[in-house]
Amino acid sequence: MEPFYAIGIFLFVLFLLLGSGVWIGLALLGVAYVGMEMFTSRPAGDAMMTVIWRSSSSWSLTALPMFIWMGEILYRTRLSEDMFKGLAPWMGRLPGGLLHTNVAGCTIFAAVSGSSAATLTTVGKMTIPELRKRNYPERLTIGTLAGAATLGLMIPPSLTLIVYGVAINESITKLFIAGVIPGLVLATLFMCYVVTASMVSKDYNPAAEPTLPFWDKVKRSRFLVPVLLLITAVIGSMYLGVATATEAAAIGVIGSLALAAAQGALTAGNFFESLMGATRTSAMIALILAGAAFLSLSMGFTGLPRALAEWIASIELSRFELLMVLLVFYIILGCFLDGISVVVLTIAIVEPMIRQVGIDIIWFGIFIVVVVEMAQITPPIGFNLFVLQGMTGHSMGFIARAAFPMFLIMMLMVLILIAFPELATWLPNNMRQAR
Amino acid sequence: MDGEARIIRRSLDFVYDFAAWLSALCLVAILVVITAQVVARWMGIPFHGSNEYAGYFMAAASFLAFAHTLNRGAHIRVGLLLNALGGRRFWGELWSLAIASAASTYLAWYAVKMVYWSWRLNDVSQGQDVTPLWIAQTPMAVGAVILAILLIDNLVTLLVTGRDNIRDGLAEQSHAE
Amino acid sequence: ASAEKWDMPMAYPATNFHSENAAAFAKCVGEGTGGTLEIVTHAGGSLFGGNDIKRAVQTGQAPIGERLLSAHANENPLYGIDSIPFLATSFDASEKLWAAASDKLKTALDAENLVYVYAVPWPAQGLYMKKDVNSVADLKGVKFRSYNAATARIAELAGMAPVQIEAAELSQALATGVVESFISSGATGVDSKVWEQLTHFYDVQAWLPRNVVFVNKDAWTALDDASKTAITTCGEKAAADGLAKVKELSGGYLKTLEENGMKVSPPSEQLAKELEGFGQTMTDEWLKSAGDDGKAIIEAYRAN
Ligand code: NA
Ligand code: NA
Repeated sequence: MEPFYAIGIFLFVLFLLLGSGVWIGLALLGVAYVGMEMFTSRPAGDAMMTVIWRSSSSWSLTALPMFIWMGEILYRTRLSEDMFKGLAPWMGRLPGGLLHTNVAGCTIFAAVSGSSAATLTTVGKMTIPELRKRNYPERLTIGTLAGAATLGLMIPPSLTLIVYGVAINESITKLFIAGVIPGLVLATLFMCYVVTASMVSKDYNPAAEPTLPFWDKVKRSRFLVPVLLLITAVIGSMYLGVATATEAAAIGVIGSLALAAAQGALTAGNFFESLMGATRTSAMIALILAGAAFLSLSMGFTGLPRALAEWIASIELSRFELLMVLLVFYIILGCFLDGISVVVLTIAIVEPMIRQVGIDIIWFGIFIVVVVEMAQITPPIGFNLFVLQGMTGHSMGFIARAAFPMFLIMMLMVLILIAFPELATWLPNNMRQAR
Repeated sequence: MDGEARIIRRSLDFVYDFAAWLSALCLVAILVVITAQVVARWMGIPFHGSNEYAGYFMAAASFLAFAHTLNRGAHIRVGLLLNALGGRRFWGELWSLAIASAASTYLAWYAVKMVYWSWRLNDVSQGQDVTPLWIAQTPMAVGAVILAILLIDNLVTLLVTGRDNIRDGLAEQSHAE
Repeated sequence: ASAEKWDMPMAYPATNFHSENAAAFAKCVGEGTGGTLEIVTHAGGSLFGGNDIKRAVQTGQAPIGERLLSAHANENPLYGIDSIPFLATSFDASEKLWAAASDKLKTALDAENLVYVYAVPWPAQGLYMKKDVNSVADLKGVKFRSYNAATARIAELAGMAPVQIEAAELSQALATGVVESFISSGATGVDSKVWEQLTHFYDVQAWLPRNVVFVNKDAWTALDDASKTAITTCGEKAAADGLAKVKELSGGYLKTLEENGMKVSPPSEQLAKELEGFGQTMTDEWLKSAGDDGKAIIEAYRAN
């Protein structure tokens, strides 16, 4: 029963360090150190540096700061205003009205940003005041925004998928392309919810939108052209295979700089701020990844992941049962941890299990993303809740309740993904066969 | 605060920020290397070792910014218990700074040791760049040392003044999610 | 002696024949020592990645490990002896070359705190193409995947356009025409279903790189004689079994390529001759960096 003894030790030290507020990357170093000292006579510090150097200097990781930087630049442009201007004329008369600009805006911005919170702040800084002005129910505004912003993680680019791809050593480009269709399906589900809620909700009584002639609407759509060009350049270059994920990210940074320059938003101050912001955010992720690299080595020495995978195989869980167990496990973890930590903490243990039962590893990446999206809006630790709290001044409880229907929709999305795995696997497989 | 203490404070803060600026330069360097790689491919010119160079800049960018990032509150931590401590928060902060100082000192020690051995053993990259690894790894060791200094700095500051220099950065932390 | 556990990092997946062979070796050692030395294999880079295994074993972070030795040719040109293109282009020639190099390699590894145990070759490297190739002239301008100094040099000699592509991105690069040709073993082609993009496989047997298993010298010295004997005997057995296995597999991979519609053939006489010329050039270049030891090996190989 040595592996289970190991689990006990690991979990105890992990909870102790994480729970007491030690920065996550350093806490992981601590846990890994304890594991190394207890289970192997190998020199822990040297082995630590071997894996930390390897993971920190990984070429595929460079996509991470580039996509973060791109988002930081776009945040400082007029992009969100333009998106609202371009989208609003089309959405105004739909059932659910301008609430759809939350979903559509997040879907579009998700295609140029790798982060959920960045999507939330960029889209929200425009839609929240506009929707409030028009008397939309606050609960629906906040809830749909909190949910739809998580599309930032699923629709490529995606920081979560970069971290996942680096951890399992699979093509990030493939993972990105796998997220496209599920992202659009999830966006559609959110829109269906907006329609339903607008019919059911008693407080739904927004100011009517003026009707615009069709050609005026088309003319207003010109505001969407720059962002659509950028999306085409970034995702298109990956899909067509002319660029790897990292290269697409570099194209994205240059494109965003060009867009900012065209809008006159590219001041020295903006450039410097966006760069320093990207520097900090990518360093933050890098510290977690460094800790996780050591932890996964340490677990390798204990034999724990393999033992667990063999145990899972021995109790003959079906794929569905295994996924349900993992779903519950991840939802609980997601209440207390951020998405990136959830991914890196679990992947060394979960990857062997997944491969053992024959689940497609690319598909599982999308599964993980939905679960991490849920984590964004579950209290007590949910970053979209924090961000919205800062933006609107509402209490965590109010925001979490407003976002709860979105949590249920994501649960539904998990089931849809399990029922129709092709949603995530068809496009990447097809991409490979294209001539 | 007397003059000497102020000078130490200023120099330390300058070191943290200066390292972060270097780190930002590394991000720009990554952009340049990757763009050059794309352009070289279009033009059919081989650019040997581009992936390795991008990787070295990645490691340098990360490690050199660790300290500055921590002071700005952008490194993620689980703050539930700390907040619940209320008036006794000092002890929680002391505990987590002590653990973090120990962990980062350990990291710094072995990072420096790694560079030393890469230099002693003449280790070179296995890629086409054939870079001596000690050169590529030095920024990582420097960054790790600066991080350790920063954490010990905060630990001492907390003990002396009752509070550390770390900003509350929930907004910063959210950027990665 | 009390029971000891050795963790053995390996770079390739557990189902790869090298990994299976090493697992058999580990079992053999366990039985041979009556359980006093247990070797636990960690396949798929789950402990250390391929790039780090040699250094990890050198410094005692792992007591034993397996590594594609030619990846370390930057450190010592001798390590690249098995990967000089078109020098030894069959299993027999490769065995001869390895026998000629063995002593010098063991000495070089020993100087790096490593004890040589055994080595098993990969299937020979062939040329994947999208069209008929009868001579080097047909290769001119073809977009060719280069991933190290040797493949870049081949591209240069043949007048091909080198494109640097990582292994993980290879199938996508092929799908989209970023590359139209590459050199690799039949196994790679089967694993990546290369017939979806390319049409020809020329079995040029460019080189047969080897995975080498080595032990940390301090860990080795600390062993009792019985354990050392067990490792040596099991290592010899693993080398022989591995060679037999790879010969069997090589044919199978080529057959699979053929069954999926690829044209699999040996190079034409002219192509073979021109490639041999490249081999001469690249061997001469290698000799310049490999010094007297390298010269001695090549002379011993050619004398046979
Ligand atoms: Na995204
Ligand atoms: Na949560």
